[in-house]
Amino acid sequence: MTAEHPALALHGLVKRFDAKVAVAGVDLTVPAGSFYGLLGPNGAGKTTTLSMAVGLLRPDAGGARVLGHDVWADPVRAKQLLGVMPDGVRLFDRLSGAELLAYHGLLRGMDPAVVSQRAAELLDVLALADAGRTLVVDYSAGMKKKIGLACALLHGPRLLVLDEPFEAVDPVSAALIRDILGRYVAGGGTVVFSSHVMEVVERLCSHVAILADGAIKRVGTLDEVRGEQTLEQVFVTVVGGRTATGEELAWLSR
Amino acid sequence: MAVAVTEAVADVGAGRRVSARHFVRLKLRVMGNNFRGQGWRIGLFALGAFAGLWFAAFGLFLFAVPGLAGNDQYATLLAAFGGGLVVLGWLLLPLIFFGVDETLDPARFALLPLPRRTLVTGLFAAALVSVPAVAVLLAASGLILTAGIFGGWSAALTQAVGVLAGLLLCVAGARAVTSAFATMLRSRRVRDLAAVLLAGAAALIAPVQLAAAAALQDADWDRLAEVAAVVGWTPFGAPWTIGIEVAQGRVWAAPVKLLITAVTVVALLAWWSRSLESAMVGTTSSSRASTRPRATGTAVTQLFPRLLGWLPRGRFGALVAREARYWWRDARRRANLITLAVVGLFVPVMLNLGGAGDTGGGALDTSSPVLVTLSMVFVGVLAAATLANQFGFDGSAYAAHVVVGVPGAVELRARMAAFSLYLLPLVLIISGVLALLVLGQPGWIGLTAGSLLATFGAGLAVNTLLSVLGAYSLPETSNPFALNSGAGVARSFLAVLSMLASAVAVIPMVVAAALLGDVWLWLALPIGAAYGLGAALLGAYLAGDVLDRRQPELLATITPRR
Ligand SMILES: Nc1ncnc2c1ncn2[C@@H]1O[C@H](COP(=O)(O)OP(=O)(O)OP(=O)(O)O)[C@@H](O)[C@H]1O
Ligand SMILES: [Mg+2]
Repeated sequence: MTAEHPALALHGLVKRFDAKVAVAGVDLTVPAGSFYGLLGPNGAGKTTTLSMAVGLLRPDAGGARVLGHDVWADPVRAKQLLGVMPDGVRLFDRLSGAELLAYHGLLRGMDPAVVSQRAAELLDVLALADAGRTLVVDYSAGMKKKIGLACALLHGPRLLVLDEPFEAVDPVSAALIRDILGRYVAGGGTVVFSSHVMEVVERLCSHVAILADGAIKRVGTLDEVRGEQTLEQVFVTVVGGRTATGEELAWLSR
Repeated sequence: MAVAVTEAVADVGAGRRVSARHFVRLKLRVMGNNFRGQGWRIGLFALGAFAGLWFAAFGLFLFAVPGLAGNDQYATLLAAFGGGLVVLGWLLLPLIFFGVDETLDPARFALLPLPRRTLVTGLFAAALVSVPAVAVLLAASGLILTAGIFGGWSAALTQAVGVLAGLLLCVAGARAVTSAFATMLRSRRVRDLAAVLLAGAAALIAPVQLAAAAALQDADWDRLAEVAAVVGWTPFGAPWTIGIEVAQGRVWAAPVKLLITAVTVVALLAWWSRSLESAMVGTTSSSRASTRPRATGTAVTQLFPRLLGWLPRGRFGALVAREARYWWRDARRRANLITLAVVGLFVPVMLNLGGAGDTGGGALDTSSPVLVTLSMVFVGVLAAATLANQFGFDGSAYAAHVVVGVPGAVELRARMAAFSLYLLPLVLIISGVLALLVLGQPGWIGLTAGSLLATFGAGLAVNTLLSVLGAYSLPETSNPFALNSGAGVARSFLAVLSMLASAVAVIPMVVAAALLGDVWLWLALPIGAAYGLGAALLGAYLAGDVLDRRQPELLATITPRR
């Protein structure tokens, strides 16, 4: 039904904070079934773009469509198809992991029996079952990321939007998350995620976009963007890095 | 390069001394940055400053009355009681109503190599830089004027020192008390809870009884003057009365009273310093049990508290269950509930007890249906005002609701329901206590409960709308009383607005109580309950519509800027 629509289509997104232009007109088409990596230096506008894409932040201009449904005009349909893990946002962290999952599931209008069964499975797979009734606020940073991911996955969305899912998670959990996401895409889902870990992006993604100063600098399939170089080299070229000369911060060494 | 290294090391070793001045500058800078690009904040601040100045001018005039009238007979009386009220206000109002400005959050200093003493004096100095402090200083200048008129320059100068000491006392008291309460509220033991309740109750009873006792003998000004003289020797009145003491020739009293004040300030700072430690080390959560028993039951059964097992297992039920858990698990919300319980129980009791004692004829002589209704209106309005910034409690966690797209009306109805789960039992207790124990009139339960329900419902409607339109962010600190700079003003204005609106909404109940007489005693409960329920549902419906349209904007306003 929605096969002809891209999983996510952003057109002309603009966001200004006071004088600062955080996102200056982003167009992006994420084909259904792709594994899309969003790269960019700190402050490039990744979080701002993804927030506008999922309806958390109202854009100054432009719009977003999820599988053909406008996020701002038809939010109910769009949000049903979406699973989101925002960055820098708290969870309802005075609930335990199981309580939080049950809460998200019921908020989505799911059947209680299904919620309980999926919650148990997710906690088990993500190695969070041992935490028992520990409140999420007392979880470690990586555990919080994992429970956030579980909340996004619970209702079986068609499109997953993840902001830095690999930040702070240990190698074993990272492998696990890669595996889960890989199977999800293989099963017909679409993933868009931002990351700073080039190696993960190169290993997972079918498509890549590089964002800098609020605008898309490179976009395409992984091979198109990468060409002959490594992704890291392309990234540094696009962003224009500065390398240490050895003169500065001399006082740090004794 | 070697030179640079040694220099840097020397810098780390000796460092430049950090003084209170740095803290004050830091606070001013943070306040200034908070204003940047936020016109409405500047406007609010100006409005707050204006209100503060207005009250200050009023207070100045009051304190100066004896001097202007040229009659020093009641100068001590006014200074002791007026000043005492100011101190009391600084101690109690932050807990009940205003919160404390925590522009400089103590926890942010935890990693800096600062001696405790430097930190406390620095934070104290920073706390002095605020509109209320300036207002008090200004108002109390009236005392200097009075002292100057009766005692010349020497008395005026002494009183000026006294006013400064009094200001230090007020600020130190406010900080110490809120910080100590915050520590208590973070701990999970019920014993502490009882202590909090008792302390709050005691704090409220004492002044009201004092005032009531004074009102009893209102014809007898000289007796009152005696009481004032005694109050003048307590920390409450000491700093404010030294000028008049000097003017009246008791010069020796000045150093003694200053000493009393100074000792109290030091003691308060020491107390504050102790609770600061726990505030700095503990994050919001650290007090919660981290070793909880293993989970039992499915995820969904775990979400619903055992007492709320009957809730529907859907969107509405989940929201209510989560809110109900949050009212207890979140220190900030718990603090609100507890102060509400204390104030809600004691203010009506005191109001209706007032003046009942000496006529011997019981409460009926002084209490009327109108007075009872009014005191219930007060409780209802106060209770509902707790929700005026209900979304601010959630902070950025509210993003989850935006992502899911929870319908506004469902969300608001659920929030009302969850709060009512705590409030309705409280309403019953308050009405029962008032009708049975205080008034001795079981037949009045209907009246008290009906008025309370009507006000509460109308208040919920008003505050729900306000919570959607006038939300503001709360700082993520361990102190449930903490506010961002400027938020205090916003909070006061919104609270006053909501209280006015809710009070207006229940005028029919008061009018009915006045007009209908005995019939109303029976009709009040059903009509009040229906009125309250109807108002609340209507409010949720209207505000829900607004919420549906501005979910992302609401999220942006309640996300704390860090
Ligand atoms: N609420 C806000 N108010 C003002 N400026 C903001 C706000 N949020 C973001 N910005 C600015 O917008 C720009 C983009 O921020 P954003 O968080 O989108 O970057 P990012 O690409 O996610 O960076 P990172 O890799 O560090 O997560 C930054 O310059 C930031 O300062
Ligand atoms: Mg980001």
